[in-house]
Amino acid sequence: MSRWRSLVAAGAAAATIAGLTFGGAAAQTPSPSGSAAGKLTFTIGDDNDLDSMNPFVAVEAPAFQIFFLTYDFLVNLSQEDLSPSPGLAESWDQSDDGLTWTFQIRDDATWHDGQPVTAHDVEYTYNRILEEEQGSFIDYISLIDTIEVPDDQTVVITTKEPTLQLLTALVFILPEHIWKDISTEEAGTFENNPPVGSGPFKVVEWEKGQFYRMESVPEYWGGAPRIDEFVYRIFNNEDALVQALRAGEVDFADSLNANPFNSLKETTGITTHEANIPSFDEIGFNVGANDTIPDADGHPALLDVRVRQAMAHAVDKQVILDRVLQGYGTIGTTIVPPFSAAYHYEPAEEDLFQFDLEEANRILDEAGYEDTDGDDVREMPDGGEPLRFRYFVRSENNSTVQTSQFVQDWFNQIGIATEVEALDDTTLTDAIFEGKYDMFHWGWFPDPDPDFILSIFTCGQRPPDGIWSDSFYCDEEYDRMYQEQKTVADVAERAQVIFEMQKKVYEDAPYIVLYYDANLQAYRSDRWTGFLNQPEPDGDLLSGYGNYTFVNLRPVTKGAAADEEEGGSAFTWVWVGLVAGPLLLVAVALLIRRRKGEEDRA
Amino acid sequence: MAGLIILGFFLIVALAAPLLADSRGLSPVGATGGVLDPPSLDYPMGTDDLGRSVLTLTIWGSRISLMVGFFATALSMVIGAVIGIAAGYYGGWRETAMMRFTDWFLVIPFLPLAIVLASILGRSLFNIILVIGITSWPGTARLVRAQTLSVKERPYVERARALGAGDWHLITRHILPNVFPLIFANTILVVAIAILSETTLSFLGLGDPLRISWGTILEFAFNGGAASRGAWWWLLPPGVAIVLVVLAFTMCGYALDEILNPRLRRR
Repeated sequence: MSRWRSLVAAGAAAATIAGLTFGGAAAQTPSPSGSAAGKLTFTIGDDNDLDSMNPFVAVEAPAFQIFFLTYDFLVNLSQEDLSPSPGLAESWDQSDDGLTWTFQIRDDATWHDGQPVTAHDVEYTYNRILEEEQGSFIDYISLIDTIEVPDDQTVVITTKEPTLQLLTALVFILPEHIWKDISTEEAGTFENNPPVGSGPFKVVEWEKGQFYRMESVPEYWGGAPRIDEFVYRIFNNEDALVQALRAGEVDFADSLNANPFNSLKETTGITTHEANIPSFDEIGFNVGANDTIPDADGHPALLDVRVRQAMAHAVDKQVILDRVLQGYGTIGTTIVPPFSAAYHYEPAEEDLFQFDLEEANRILDEAGYEDTDGDDVREMPDGGEPLRFRYFVRSENNSTVQTSQFVQDWFNQIGIATEVEALDDTTLTDAIFEGKYDMFHWGWFPDPDPDFILSIFTCGQRPPDGIWSDSFYCDEEYDRMYQEQKTVADVAERAQVIFEMQKKVYEDAPYIVLYYDANLQAYRSDRWTGFLNQPEPDGDLLSGYGNYTFVNLRPVTKGAAADEEEGGSAFTWVWVGLVAGPLLLVAVALLIRRRKGEEDRA
Repeated sequence: MAGLIILGFFLIVALAAPLLADSRGLSPVGATGGVLDPPSLDYPMGTDDLGRSVLTLTIWGSRISLMVGFFATALSMVIGAVIGIAAGYYGGWRETAMMRFTDWFLVIPFLPLAIVLASILGRSLFNIILVIGITSWPGTARLVRAQTLSVKERPYVERARALGAGDWHLITRHILPNVFPLIFANTILVVAIAILSETTLSFLGLGDPLRISWGTILEFAFNGGAASRGAWWWLLPPGVAIVLVVLAFTMCGYALDEILNPRLRRR
């Protein structure tokens, strides 16, 4: 009897040790709780965190990733070429005078809480944005005059002028029964966690700075996703992300920098992809925050267009493209990326701000900015305030830090001093919103239709009333052209207006557009298939403007994956058995012993 | 002795940096190398991802690292000595107040406090010095106070007081000279800690990103994908330099401590 007991004890000890080491190894990889074995989980690693799940507030790309999977548009962008394709509206029709649109809402769409999606939800969402002038979306639908809902499945919209804009309006349709309880004041602070939408996935967990987890919605009108859940993990370091991809902890690494990307190129089982996306990075200037925010403190010299033009001459974009991006992208010029080929304007050779430090110095000399106290920094013509600018870069994005080292050097050579500071995105957003900055480096991910990116330079978008303007640029002529381009239905004609707008922004230089970068992506092609580039053939693998990839994604071969899954769970069970079995025996033995003790005592 | 030699070597390197490497090589604009070139004749320690010579960076980095080390230590010593002597000399409620204040700084974990301070104050060289200075003085203060307490009771201090010497005279003429050797020995040890702290804070991205120190080189390497690209030459030179300098300071510090610290001397 006693021997038997000691044997069990030894077994239990061994099992415990084994369990400890095993558990220790598992604990090193912080994985979202609840990702139980047997579920088909697709994990993305990225270095960017989301800011909010409220579509009226969020500005960061990961938040929009959630919205694309949670919500639907009235009209989607097709996967192949981004043309209008059925979303919540099955079909639509424009009247002959071009002013009246009739949308037929599909009857098989439901909200995640089971309520049906009706035409009233569309009416509610659009009306709310129009009434509250919600900055994130208002410019998409500002031409709407009236919205009528003759029955649950029909929306009739009349516009003030003929426009095609309703087909490219990226407005997430929100459920009326949830949002009607949120007042206008609350809309800015409402957490919307988890968001109730009509899309193929819903958020079940969000740990700020760590990850979010979404579960598939089998009832989705576009067909049930083939994966069970999708996890987005945030990595603070790209090396860690690369290692996680190699180790199989994540299946997809998004928006990589050139070095980590290059290191993955030769790895078996991993495929790399340079996605063509409408994206650019810019150095933005505070060109007049004081007009809307009294206590803003932008540098007065930046109000002078000549100073900004001189700085545009002092940035060698080719060098930044070659050295920082290691060539993954193209040189930037105007605010509509070449991705939107029909609308991108490329300034003529002689109109470009060529890299020319002498020219930059000459412009500044001529404008009266001279170094009067001999410290190699120019002073303002009258007040004598030195040209010393705060230059904010993103601590979450290494390219911006590296770029700043080049730019600072060039600016020093034209007598402009910069104080580079790396801020996290939230702090930087706040600084911009309060107008307390001089210059910054950030990027945009514009829509395929240029309307959105053009809107950010309109006067109405300036904080605190607007949301998107980060340069506080305001120009009457520009605003007029912006309204004009909305109503021109002919692509070529509209393009002419949009060319003029880009030219104006280029010359006024509230931005120095540095480059149009490619999105460097890498994924485990030995495990996953079914990625749908949007648009074909070389667009974003994760479908930048829709949920196509996430609905279509599946393991490489169903059979192999199932085996692996089973093997995985069997393996787990062996461990559970090894640990739990002996422990159970010990527990039983102790129980018996105590019984015995009690009996003895009795 | 070995400590002194290593220290001397790095001091010379730091002082002679302009002779050893062109400062243009610090700016990526002036860099001539390729992306992450392994060590070669032109670049004995390879290049970083912006094509700068890692050797040049390490040489110039020694300046900032040592400078931050020295200035932060000086600051820490001044605060520590003033509080320690004042507390030990005056005694009473003033001592209690000052020592509780010191304890308060002593029990707060250094790194979180330094990180919070650095992120509030912003990323600049001066702030890093300030942060390290005001987080590393409590140890010195306690040490100095103990020594002051013992010096204060010596007969000649009593005699001087009987002759009518004021507080200021007593502190500067009698106490300070007697605690100074202890402060000095402690200084050398704190420099090592300060240099390590600078590296830590820079590595965490709280240093001035545009002043190259050993810590910032490591930070760039960490964020620039040195590990996944296998670019060991980017990590090793600053790392080894830090280890050597800290080791050298510690060795010198212990040696001095043995000579100057009365308690150790008695042993």
